[in-house]
Amino acid sequence: MSEQALAALERYGSSALFAVVAIAAIGVPFPVTLLLIVTGSLVAQGVMDVWAAIAIAVVGSVAGDQIGYAVGRWGGKALAAKFSGMLGNAERITQLDAKAKRWGGAGVFFSRWLVAPLGPWINFASGAADYSWPRFTLWDVVGESFGAGLYICLGLVFSDRVQEIGAIFGDLTWAILGVLAAAFLGWRLFSMRSQDV
Amino acid sequence: MRQSRRQTLIIFLGFCLAVAATFFFGYRAGRTARHVRWQNEPIQPWMSVPFIAHIHHTRADLLFQAIRVPPNPRDRRPIRDIARAEKLPASELIRDLQNAVANANQPGTEAVPPSGRAP
Repeated sequence: MSEQALAALERYGSSALFAVVAIAAIGVPFPVTLLLIVTGSLVAQGVMDVWAAIAIAVVGSVAGDQIGYAVGRWGGKALAAKFSGMLGNAERITQLDAKAKRWGGAGVFFSRWLVAPLGPWINFASGAADYSWPRFTLWDVVGESFGAGLYICLGLVFSDRVQEIGAIFGDLTWAILGVLAAAFLGWRLFSMRSQDV
Repeated sequence: MRQSRRQTLIIFLGFCLAVAATFFFGYRAGRTARHVRWQNEPIQPWMSVPFIAHIHHTRADLLFQAIRVPPNPRDRRPIRDIARAEKLPASELIRDLQNAVANANQPGTEAVPPSGRAP
């Protein structure tokens, strides 16, 4: 599937870029980081214009993110009620909602480019937690613009090393996710121990 | 009590897994970063001929000739699609392209700027 997305980008350019980033933002696991780096390389080869490429990537991603948010907003509550047993009691769900609202802006911004695999989940969670739509959209546009600009410019600079740069950033993303998971679980362990003492 | 202990154990195992994943991916990213300038980008079926010419600093027309396709800098078909049109396995075209890149980049051959176009 990744190969088909990259081949479509090579063959159809901007329209494929728009479609792939939008579909990926909804939750289909396309290698968006590598795709944007390859887009940067295509810009370096004169196939695409840099500003047009960034604009198309941002518009496509934001469109996909909005769909994810809408699904969470109008279908998330029903889903949360159905699976509330897995999340905890009503009080726990209220706590999760409050946390989502408190950390919403940062979560949306960083999940656009730094920990991109979390992006679709954050979109859905933001909608389900009734996080303000204008704020979600603002952080979404800022994060997607930063991410698209960063990766397309990296592809532009390292236009003959796209696969290696893509692999480095792919691994770094998972390493950062590992750090975040370790910090969260370490904090859980620490608070459980404090309660026991 | 037993349930609480089991929960602690699961969180501890998750913590260990997260730390291991951090080191694994961090190490792999570092290793790739160290070798980034010394490795040649492998040719993939999703790449077009002008794209391959660009990443290998060679001329697109030489690569088109190597796979017996009329040279056209606007031809952005992926190798996979060219192989399908020519009724050949993509691996065969990739092998021909690798040979052409190796021949083009031999010492004494004129280098091409990263645009992939002839000077």
